[in-house]
Amino acid sequence: MKDATSSKAVIVFDHLRVSYPARSRSAEPKVAVKGLNLTINEGEVFGFLGPNGAGKTSTMNVLLGFLRPTSGTARINGIDISDPRSRQALGYLPELTYYYKFLNAIELLHFYGTLFGMDSAAREKRIDELLKLVELSEAAKRPIRTYSKGMQQRVGIAQALINDPKVLIMDEPTSGLDPLGRNKVRSIIERLKDQGKTVFFSSHELGEVETVCDRVSILSGGEMKVLGTVDELMSEHQCTLEQLFIKVVADDMAPA
Amino acid sequence: MFSRINAIAGVTIKELYRRKDFYVIFVFTVLIALIFASINFFNDTNIVRYLKEITLLLIWIASLTIAISTAARQIPAEKESRTIFPLLAKPITRTEFLLGKFLGSWLACGIALLVLYGFLALLARTRDDSWHLLNYFQAASLHWVMLGIIVAFVIFGSLVFAAPSSNGTITFILAVGILLLGRHLNSVALGLSEPGRTIVYTIYYLIPHLEFFDLRDLLVHSWPLVAWGTWALAIVYAALYVAVFLTAASLVFRKKPLI
Amino acid sequence: MRRSVLILGLLLASCFSVALRLDHLLQIWAKDMPKKGSLMEVIMGDSRRLLGDYFFAKADIYFHSGYYISRFGGAKEHHEGSGHMAGATEEHEHEDHAGHTDHEEEEHAAPDAPKDWIEAFGRKFYPSEHTHLDEGGPNKHDAVQEILPWLKFSADLDPNRIETYTVSAYWLSQRLHKPKEAEAFLREGLGANPGNPSILFELSRIAASNDKDLDHAVNLLELALAKWKEQEGPKKEPNTFLLEQIYGNLAKLETERGKSEKAIEYLKQLKSLSPHPEAVEKQIEDLEQKKK
Repeated sequence: MKDATSSKAVIVFDHLRVSYPARSRSAEPKVAVKGLNLTINEGEVFGFLGPNGAGKTSTMNVLLGFLRPTSGTARINGIDISDPRSRQALGYLPELTYYYKFLNAIELLHFYGTLFGMDSAAREKRIDELLKLVELSEAAKRPIRTYSKGMQQRVGIAQALINDPKVLIMDEPTSGLDPLGRNKVRSIIERLKDQGKTVFFSSHELGEVETVCDRVSILSGGEMKVLGTVDELMSEHQCTLEQLFIKVVADDMAPA
Repeated sequence: MFSRINAIAGVTIKELYRRKDFYVIFVFTVLIALIFASINFFNDTNIVRYLKEITLLLIWIASLTIAISTAARQIPAEKESRTIFPLLAKPITRTEFLLGKFLGSWLACGIALLVLYGFLALLARTRDDSWHLLNYFQAASLHWVMLGIIVAFVIFGSLVFAAPSSNGTITFILAVGILLLGRHLNSVALGLSEPGRTIVYTIYYLIPHLEFFDLRDLLVHSWPLVAWGTWALAIVYAALYVAVFLTAASLVFRKKPLI
Repeated sequence: MRRSVLILGLLLASCFSVALRLDHLLQIWAKDMPKKGSLMEVIMGDSRRLLGDYFFAKADIYFHSGYYISRFGGAKEHHEGSGHMAGATEEHEHEDHAGHTDHEEEEHAAPDAPKDWIEAFGRKFYPSEHTHLDEGGPNKHDAVQEILPWLKFSADLDPNRIETYTVSAYWLSQRLHKPKEAEAFLREGLGANPGNPSILFELSRIAASNDKDLDHAVNLLELALAKWKEQEGPKKEPNTFLLEQIYGNLAKLETERGKSEKAIEYLKQLKSLSPHPEAVEKQIEDLEQKKK
């Protein structure tokens, strides 16, 4: 499946293949991603959709360096993902809140800021701005283990933005949030879009995807089945995004 | 690179001092030492060496416990709590991550040793005629570099062995075994026939000889200082072993899938 | 709620009944067991003796300021059961009768050469010089009291080890000038080992040299002699060295008391045991001369 490339490519997947070793000798290796070719351009908000087990997380894990591709390549800003410099301008918001519970928000953000090579003054200024943005200024000095889930998610957003990234990868950013929280995340994504940032995120909240995304793709069985802008897809298939999603997945699961 | 390594080291140290383990170990060490200090031996208030020896034994047990338990859980705990993911999503290599963990664990051991040896110096001074600060410095510094070897080995072990508990147990047994028996393996080898002799000799030459860092007898019995050149050589010897273990750990970790 | 309380009550009642029954059985069992002594005996059983031996050896190591003779391979004919610390007390006894002891030969035995560079380097990190605390040690001042804690621990763990008491008494009374503490420790040892001739002998020494109570000292020596005959006499290899000491001291004390006849009697007994009978004979002749 080809994609349109009209401006500078920020994330490029070239024949990306990810497979996991077989659990027993008689079994075949499990292929999670089957030759993905995809380019995400600068300033795009890209929705990466698919049912559970479609290969979304495996693709993201390769992009973040947690997993080596079996074959093929992935690049961020032209740098191969095996080079840690590819993550210098990257922000990552995981689905669940995996942060050091014994640190407070300020300490955590200072720590991550240092990893990006930010100096002390720059970190102080940025942390101030971010704590205001995510509305955690008052709770900033309490250990993260005392935070509610929503507060921990907001810390996550702050740490994803600490280095003012050009590219943001978000794994189900609104998962587990109440409507207020979801609204907050949506407004942050829109703000990032206005700033010209590239956002690559996976989600099951198709309503949100329709609202914020420039383009979407739907993965199923490790292959990209659909790619295009939301409007294009909806007019082409004469249905809502949700209906299209169900159709694509059902077609993929149907016996040949 | 150094700022990233230092940042990870800083978080590791913070974690140790926000857990209660260290304080519990320190309180036990102090309590037991004070109990022994309160014993009356034939109405003589000048007896100090047994007290130094017992306190040093407690310090060694405490420091080995701190070193092994801290280092053994670094990487497994990060993986289990999944904090390793947002960390490695930053522009940091796995080697830098490993070095940061090593440095943090080792520095944490150093802080613990500073407190424990400080306590020993104060306790001994209540009966001794002088401070012997340089002697304490030599003993503590060599003890600290020895813990560096242990920490490096445990970090390597945490990537190789299945569980932190098995890693900790194996390392503890190895460390104590080497301290007690390592120096005697050459004599054991002489008494064996081949191929046992070659095997034991190989082990004798390969293991890090931790007894080079154990100045307890010299400290207890107020012997003069070890020559500074010898002290420096011991540190270089430790650095070599640390480098070997961390290099091996880095090679294993780079290939290890996180998921 | 009621049900949980009822179940809890039933469980408590069962536990109480089982405990009562077990207590009764335990009392029957305990009646048949030999009576146990101290807490150490109860906790450790006979392994405490091993630990007692270890601590006694530790005292000897302290006497050498941490120098472990076995590390260096030399001094293979180590004085049985004791060490230089204990040997030094016997040297003291042999002053009048002999010249060198085995210990002095051991002391000057050079350590074996290191087998490899690791051993050679390792020797720089522990004491590798043979010194004695009573000769100043590495710190050049007498610190003999440092051996005392290990002797005390050794005695606590193995109160039947006589040497612990006799060695401690020597160092306490002769070198540390603490005769009262020495006597108290010896009496502790006597309590655990009633009628032991070695302990009685040491007590007599304290009475004579520190208390200057010659009559009491003689009484103690006579009791020691009687106990030696009772305890050591029947053995295949009795401790004749102790008997020599008893006779020697009896002779000395009786001389000081002015009872030359008795002194000569004891010296005659000593002559048959001593490795230097001619020296003893000379003493007998001197006494007989003085009598005239």
